[in-house]
Amino acid sequence: MAHARRGLRVREQFDWPLLLSIFAVAIVGLVNLYSATSPYLEMGGKTSIADIYVTQVYWLVVGGLMAILVTLIDYRNFERLAYVAYGVGLFSLALVFFVASDVRGAARWIRLGSFAFQPSEFMKLGVILAVARFLSEDPKTEARSLVDLIPAAALLAVPSGLVMAQPDFGTSIILVLTVGCMLAMARIRVRSILTLVATVAGSAPILWQYVLRDYQKDRILSFINPEADLTGAGWHAFQSQTAIGNGGVWGSGFREGTQNQFGFLPDQFSDFPFAVFAEDWGFLGSFLLVCVYSFICIWAIRIASMAKDRFGAAVAIGVGAMIFWHTVFNLGMATGVLPVVGITLPLFSYGGSSVLTIMIGFGLLMNVSLRR
Amino acid sequence: MRLLVQKSDVGEFRRRYRWMVLSVLIAFLGLTARLAQLQIFERDIHRAQARRNIVGTVTLATTRGVIRDREGRVLAANRPSYDVYVVPEKLDLDETWPRLAQLMNLSAGEDAQYKEKIKKQTGKLSSQQILLKVDVAREVFAALKTHKDELPGVIATPSAVRYYPYGDLAGHLLGYMRETNQDDLARWEDRGYRPGDRLGAIGVEQRWEGYLKGQRGWQKQVMGRRAKKNIEQFEAKYLEDPRRLEPVPGRDLSLTIDIELERSIERAMRGQLAGAVVVVDVRTGRLLAALSKPGFDPNVISGSMGKEAIGDAFARLYKDPLKPLLDKTISAAYPPGSTYKPFSALAALDEQLITPKSEVDCRGGYEFGRRFFRCTGVHRQVNLYDAIVQSCNTYFYALGELIHIDRLSGIGMDFGFGVKTGIGVNPEARGRMPTRAWYARRYKGEGFRGGFTLLSAIGQGATTVTVLQLTLAYAALANGGTLYQPQVVRSIETSDGTVVQDFPPRVRKIIEIPSERLQLIRDALHGVVMDKKGTAHKEALDGVDMAGKTGTAQVSHVTPKGVDPQKVWYFNRDHAWFSGFAPAESPEIAIVVLIEHGGGGGKNAVPVAMRVVRDWQDLRGEHKAAEETSERRTREQQL
Repeated sequence: MAHARRGLRVREQFDWPLLLSIFAVAIVGLVNLYSATSPYLEMGGKTSIADIYVTQVYWLVVGGLMAILVTLIDYRNFERLAYVAYGVGLFSLALVFFVASDVRGAARWIRLGSFAFQPSEFMKLGVILAVARFLSEDPKTEARSLVDLIPAAALLAVPSGLVMAQPDFGTSIILVLTVGCMLAMARIRVRSILTLVATVAGSAPILWQYVLRDYQKDRILSFINPEADLTGAGWHAFQSQTAIGNGGVWGSGFREGTQNQFGFLPDQFSDFPFAVFAEDWGFLGSFLLVCVYSFICIWAIRIASMAKDRFGAAVAIGVGAMIFWHTVFNLGMATGVLPVVGITLPLFSYGGSSVLTIMIGFGLLMNVSLRR
Repeated sequence: MRLLVQKSDVGEFRRRYRWMVLSVLIAFLGLTARLAQLQIFERDIHRAQARRNIVGTVTLATTRGVIRDREGRVLAANRPSYDVYVVPEKLDLDETWPRLAQLMNLSAGEDAQYKEKIKKQTGKLSSQQILLKVDVAREVFAALKTHKDELPGVIATPSAVRYYPYGDLAGHLLGYMRETNQDDLARWEDRGYRPGDRLGAIGVEQRWEGYLKGQRGWQKQVMGRRAKKNIEQFEAKYLEDPRRLEPVPGRDLSLTIDIELERSIERAMRGQLAGAVVVVDVRTGRLLAALSKPGFDPNVISGSMGKEAIGDAFARLYKDPLKPLLDKTISAAYPPGSTYKPFSALAALDEQLITPKSEVDCRGGYEFGRRFFRCTGVHRQVNLYDAIVQSCNTYFYALGELIHIDRLSGIGMDFGFGVKTGIGVNPEARGRMPTRAWYARRYKGEGFRGGFTLLSAIGQGATTVTVLQLTLAYAALANGGTLYQPQVVRSIETSDGTVVQDFPPRVRKIIEIPSERLQLIRDALHGVVMDKKGTAHKEALDGVDMAGKTGTAQVSHVTPKGVDPQKVWYFNRDHAWFSGFAPAESPEIAIVVLIEHGGGGGKNAVPVAMRVVRDWQDLRGEHKAAEETSERRTREQQL
């Protein structure tokens, strides 16, 4: 009886806008990935880079299946398993330090047979679930002080510290900001917020001095003063902006953007797929894409507002915030308004872990949306 | 379990959603604004930058003009030099090096020396390519290219170097090539020189640089990954016209000199250490040959044997007390000695101080004031003819006592002494025709002494001339008083042989002297060679029809710097001169031979002149025969 009713409700209130918008981004992202790697097609010979869009299709399929699976299981089961997921994530994150393979001096990957995955990506979901459970179980109704937030801060601090140590500055920023958004839903004392802001501001120099690596500092410095070093860290951002501007209003056309086709875009399939897109499709295309991303973020907030419990609302906000910050940071660095910190664009950037994380997140959103 | 936990109300979150939506909208609106800025307002800037990224310009090299002699023989041209470079970092000394050494046929000594050189390049230097050897044989270059894949870190490339097939013959006149320096690049910014370019250093190479060098071209290209396929399509889309500027090859030059005559002079001068010879055509003032000894091989100092060889060669040239880098035909002035006597005679005749018949009794010298001026011998009664033929100084001392020194130098200046000839190549020495005013400036307070005029009359004292000036003055004696501007370049041609500009002879001055007076002098000069008493007679060759004047010029006894004291005697010897023209009756060429510190002119300079004129007669015969043959052929063809 209960089962049948739930099935009925799923059919009646299925979240088509969410599905369609995610589907649209995935398809456009895939096509764009093809454009991004197409210069390598004509180089002759078999180069693995030219084939990565095929691999991306596999990940999208796997991600889609996982999203369906996650949607089907009632999210209250995830609430129960939140700390377990968090623990597993933390464990694999710690494992990185022992069995990691290096990419550009940063150890982020764990190799399982032929599949390398990034625990830090999945950890985002673990943290979202754990913080959501904490918020859901927190019985307070009056405004919270900093002391009340200590458990949540601890949940955040451990993984983001580990990620920072890899070092992966970008992902730890995403973690901090995502959790920040989730906590922002709860009532917090004004004085506590002020204290927090002051503490962050005060600790910035310490962060700069002792935590950030040289290459990370370079990126930030070159962001502040781009002309200083056009060959080094500023180069990527400069070429990306050139590509975007080169697209103009109408775009150069599919696979016609010269910045990409002639190899001036660095990391065009991981960090700068948006530059490829903006060059091919112009302001018109990039504006539409920005609209779709903002729709997804706002829709996530809507799902949260209609959730039937605090856990569902917190998860929806967490996933929405994760997508929001990824998008803002990636577009920000592609357009030169934020430093280059290596944050992927959801479903546009190539990468199994990244695709799976977003797809699972999408499954969670759908789950909350269907069970309101 | 769940019942035990007190769940908070969802409502607590509600009031924040609106703020969140607003934040999302603001963030994405900001990004949209930035996109609009990049893609709409600043589009042109970025589009231009994107175009600059993919469009590049490659330089198209030009070739320097060829220099030929009057018969079309190549004196300076370009050839490829095959140079071998290595990148120490990429070169495996154990694996690759033995193979390379074998392919290059390196001797054991070279092998060790080069290996040492490579090993020295450590650290950062080891990633930069270093020049191993220049100008390897073509076969070696071909072998290195064939085995390129087996030789990582080895680069073999051809570069153009200037090539002078006749080596040091006429080296001073032709000049050589040197690398541009900072000054050149700054001074001639508009001429398109780049660091590493070479330009003419002296002689024709320097003076005619603007014509010889040619102009680089360029071509726009689409560069980058995708350009390899469908290149035309991309060029049509992204390249703006004009897409290409053809390089302009340098102009070729035809010189007036005859390199075979030059070779003959070199042969005739073989027994001499240092000196200069100039031959001009008396009918045109064109330079037929000019040799300054000792010389240098322009091939070496132009860099065909590598940069190190240039430095070594210059170090040697600068140290040599015989001054091989100095062009002694143009850039140095010497006392002319007795070769100046014909001009002194002309001055006295002009002033009517003497007649051809006036006689002087030579008793071995001339007393003037409290000084005794020596003669070369005791000539007894001599008239003008005898005085020139026997080179009697006494006659000219007597003449010097009669004449004002300004007249003596005046006639000299009429014949082009004391002023630059305007040849245009290499820095010219002016020489000196001393006047009263000059002495007054020079010896302040001491006053003018009559003895100065006596010395001037025999071409000594303060009088100095360049070899070129003297040759042109004798040419004027020979041709009836026409002083020409000397010419080295006959015509400018394009690389396919079309004449762009032809230079006709240029007369500087017609010297107004009655022709019978010049004939008188010419007869006397003929007597110098033909007369039994003539100072050149002993060395005359059968079949060489020449007139001229010997000279033995005393040099001031000053030890040149840096000369081994054991060798100072050499630098104190007199200069030997002979100036003349041939054939004696209807002159075609004028020739001057100077042998520095050669001793007596009759004994040392005359034989050189004789042999050169003999060779010239032979060459002239050959040329005439060749011309006649070709003329006949053309005529036959026309028929």
